[in-house]
Amino acid sequence: MTTSPAPAAPNLRALQPGELARALAGKGLWIDLGAATVRVRSDSAVFAAQLGTVYGELPLADQGVWADTHIDIRRATGLRRWVRPQVVLWCDGQQPFEPFPADSPLPLFEWGCNWQIAHRLNDLLLLHAGAVERDGLALLLPAMPGSGKSTLTAALSQRGWRLLSDEFGAFDPQAGVFRAMLKPIALKNQSIEVIRAFAPQARFGPEFPKTRKGRVAHLAATADAVRRRHEPARPGAIVLPKWEAGSATRWEPLAEHVAFPALAFNAFNYTVLGEAGFRAAVHLMRVCPAWQLVYSDLDDALATIAATWPAVVQRHAEALR
Amino acid sequence: MTAPYARVDGALVEPAGHLWVAYSPATGETALLNDESAAILEILEAGPASTAQVCALLSADSGMALAELTPVVEASWSKLLDAGLVRAGRRAEPAKIAG
Repeated sequence: MTTSPAPAAPNLRALQPGELARALAGKGLWIDLGAATVRVRSDSAVFAAQLGTVYGELPLADQGVWADTHIDIRRATGLRRWVRPQVVLWCDGQQPFEPFPADSPLPLFEWGCNWQIAHRLNDLLLLHAGAVERDGLALLLPAMPGSGKSTLTAALSQRGWRLLSDEFGAFDPQAGVFRAMLKPIALKNQSIEVIRAFAPQARFGPEFPKTRKGRVAHLAATADAVRRRHEPARPGAIVLPKWEAGSATRWEPLAEHVAFPALAFNAFNYTVLGEAGFRAAVHLMRVCPAWQLVYSDLDDALATIAATWPAVVQRHAEALR
Repeated sequence: MTAPYARVDGALVEPAGHLWVAYSPATGETALLNDESAAILEILEAGPASTAQVCALLSADSGMALAELTPVVEASWSKLLDAGLVRAGRRAEPAKIAG
């Protein structure tokens, strides 16, 4: 006797108007990011609409057995329901952030979600890095704000590299692999126009002109990245990006004593992990060749990475023999 | 003669390019070390040692003059103590370099 497979859940993008809002207002939505699951509930129809634009490729999951964090996005009560209305993020009965304007629940959710992940997922070493995959290997882009990390990660994700995360290089020290933490890429200010021009097919959420970090828009992960979000990636290479207006592309090998601090001292939970974090960072420093990339031209930057990548793949293939 | 110093149990040291990275289980912190500090920690792996003992071993190993080594080693103690990589140790038999 054969049985038909259970029908796949529809993607959020395919839902009827109001369906996502009803799920959020009920038991909530389980958002499976790959390495973590976030359960979110909300009474904000604005939030439902915004969420659907950037998580649209995810399947609808309105029940689940486990979530790493539970977040509520609620419309503010009292007078704030009417005068300059706001939304509030609740987590574990606490309100860790100031309220946001009611028309901007998505940035509040994204930042709150990142904050929760950074504080909770201590079975992983959470590098502050963009991470993309090709040939089964992760390319890490650790960097400080303003370095062009998100812009470069976004560009790579639109040109054949699978996005693992823009914010978290989520390394599983037990398995020795990176895991996806697949959230939309938060692009800021002129990076929004840069990526819109670079990848006209890219899906963006709404633009938020006046956040604390300036103008922000979220780039949705591609359908392929969402579908493959449970595929791990072995450590591949490290590239420290630095965007400099008008600069020619420079590509220089990075010594281990520069790569190590860029990984470890920039990580969200390195000190929490103690010895395990140290050993993981040393391992990554050992197995990943590293470069500094100074760039202003995205096409040229991507071509430079692509030109080096076959040697990275070969190095890792030889190490496996 | 200075009091001997001991390497903190469980301290880890790994080469990293031109420097060394060291993890202290006492503080939970990681420090970047130069060659001199890493060499001192390697000597202390054999047991607690004073400045004079460390300098004697380093001199024998590297050929550098004791007068040149002593201020370097003396200056290293406070940094290694702050980093949680060494502690004031028991007086002990002179340490020997293994191998």
